[in-house]
Amino acid sequence: MVQAEPPSRPVPRKAEPGPSPPAPPATEEGEGATETLGRRSIELAGFYHGKIETVPSVPIRSLEDFALWYTPGIAAVSRAIEAAPERSFDLTGRWNTIAIVTDGSRVLGLGNVGPEASLPVMEGKAMLFRYLGGVNAIPVPVRINSPGELIETVERIAPGFGGINLEDIASPKCFEVLETLQERLPIPVWHDDQLGTAASTVAGLLNGLELTGRSIGQIRTVLLGAGAANLVTARLLVTLGHDPHAISLVDQRGILHAERDDMDELMLRNPWKYRLALQTNGGGRVGELADALRGADVLLAASRPDPHAVSADVIRTMADDPIVFALANPVPEIWPDVARRAGVAVVATGRSDFPNQVNNSLIFPAVFRGVLDARARSINDEIVLAAARELAARAHDRGLTAEHLLPTMEEREVFPHVAAAVATAAVDAGVARVTRSRAEFLAIAQDRMSRPARLIEAIGRSGLIAPMPPSTPLPSPSKP
Amino acid sequence: MTKETSPVPAPMTATDAPNVPIHLRPARSDDVPALVGLLLRLKRLNEEFDPLLKVRADAEARATALLTQDLADPKALVLAAEGIGADKDRVVGIVRAHLRERLFYTPENEGVILDIYLLPLYRRHGVGEYLLRETVQALKARGAGIVTAEFPAHNEIATKFYGKRGFRAVTLVHAKSL
Repeated sequence: MVQAEPPSRPVPRKAEPGPSPPAPPATEEGEGATETLGRRSIELAGFYHGKIETVPSVPIRSLEDFALWYTPGIAAVSRAIEAAPERSFDLTGRWNTIAIVTDGSRVLGLGNVGPEASLPVMEGKAMLFRYLGGVNAIPVPVRINSPGELIETVERIAPGFGGINLEDIASPKCFEVLETLQERLPIPVWHDDQLGTAASTVAGLLNGLELTGRSIGQIRTVLLGAGAANLVTARLLVTLGHDPHAISLVDQRGILHAERDDMDELMLRNPWKYRLALQTNGGGRVGELADALRGADVLLAASRPDPHAVSADVIRTMADDPIVFALANPVPEIWPDVARRAGVAVVATGRSDFPNQVNNSLIFPAVFRGVLDARARSINDEIVLAAARELAARAHDRGLTAEHLLPTMEEREVFPHVAAAVATAAVDAGVARVTRSRAEFLAIAQDRMSRPARLIEAIGRSGLIAPMPPSTPLPSPSKP
Repeated sequence: MTKETSPVPAPMTATDAPNVPIHLRPARSDDVPALVGLLLRLKRLNEEFDPLLKVRADAEARATALLTQDLADPKALVLAAEGIGADKDRVVGIVRAHLRERLFYTPENEGVILDIYLLPLYRRHGVGEYLLRETVQALKARGAGIVTAEFPAHNEIATKFYGKRGFRAVTLVHAKSL
């Protein structure tokens, strides 16, 4: 066994332009902070009773206006849509409304908490959709007993929505649900845990490759964790020209390869992983992570929150100047400073308190802004990759460094560009109902993505949303 | 009347072999350890379909004895699929079949395909189809007038595979644990 690393300590960094990133907190402090935040979250949830509400988007001068917005006037609008159902995108809010659908089977790192317990998370997601993307998102937690029921439920509610965001659905069920719905529905269907994470990972990796002078056709990549995100990341890498033989996936049972004795089980239960097992790991490497990593250029870890999942010793066996993404939350598979001391050239994590946060939120609001602006019928991998490439290009334009691999969430001006790239890719893919130039899509996205902040500022000034109550002091420690 | 059969099927000619990454031949006694491994993989796959197909702890010893017995039995057919090229001499697939007499029905000679298994890397490319065709031919050459295949009721992949090739359910075995 390799020796455990000493506790994580911030390392002095070279002086670099721009604000220096905050030092990584020690594990216990991090856990303490999470507990404090949790306590505060419950307090606020009980104070505000929910995070989103529906608000009319038309003037209501008097009750007489109801005759226009509702019956009898509205009957004409209904008839117009009956005659041409596509007009629902024009005459209602469908064009900008999505459902956030979950069965609550894999919520955050909590596991299968059920649909009711998923609701606070879905409300939060809806808030992010609105605030970051200008998208109206409705939480729809559903109780289902099989993937088929989930598919059927989404098919039945789809007429009211311009897009579907699947959220927190366990793997591999999520693959079947996403693929089937993408085939059947005339609106884009997205599963963030697959596509959002994979797209932001790919974006970061593209820049990491450039920083270290590599090209995707020549690298060897190890993916630790074979869940939803990494299975899609592997697929996207191959689409981008990565030699599938030069990819190795590693899960709890070690390197995924075609000779493993769980292959038949995978064939039945997880055909997506099975297919990758057949495609990847050329040369037939067997063994553990350490065996896979020897000589590898890139490690993309999306496994379990355990800072010792990847040791410095195995990192040292990688190629020179390796790239390591340790994306488990809230604790990465290796602390960034440990990775850097072991010779890693570029480190990314899933956390905002370290440099290079690989974050779904960099992708999903802009992807939906883009597909909704183009009124796309679907999302394919090319559209996903357009988002990843644009995100990478934006960081590139600001000056790539080992600590600025991706735009941060603060670089809000980036997102409309990603949305415009997505909308344009939808047009190029022939799935858009609306065709505009890229510049027009950009202007539309800029307007629609900046509106929520203006709205919330105005509401804040009005006093209609109560200011946050002070947090109650910690109760004194109870007697044993 | 049961036709006299030879314990060793006629070797397959090159023209029978399509462009598949395997070479099919009668199994030999030195194949037994590899064949046992493949047979156990198949039984563990069957386990996925039904809790009543739970693999016994001593399955390996049983498989070894069974295959050894089959190799000496003129009514048994055991074929080994070898890899080609770098994988030459490596056994990557197994076919096991028996000739049975049907006491009440005609045709009276039945070739029963009991086990077909191929390692995942060698699947697709029409290899399964090739294995089945060769097995059916070998059984026919030994006098079978009907060919049957046994597999778990819930194995939809096998149901589809055989269904596409003209097989249909004739006898059902229903089980209940006691």
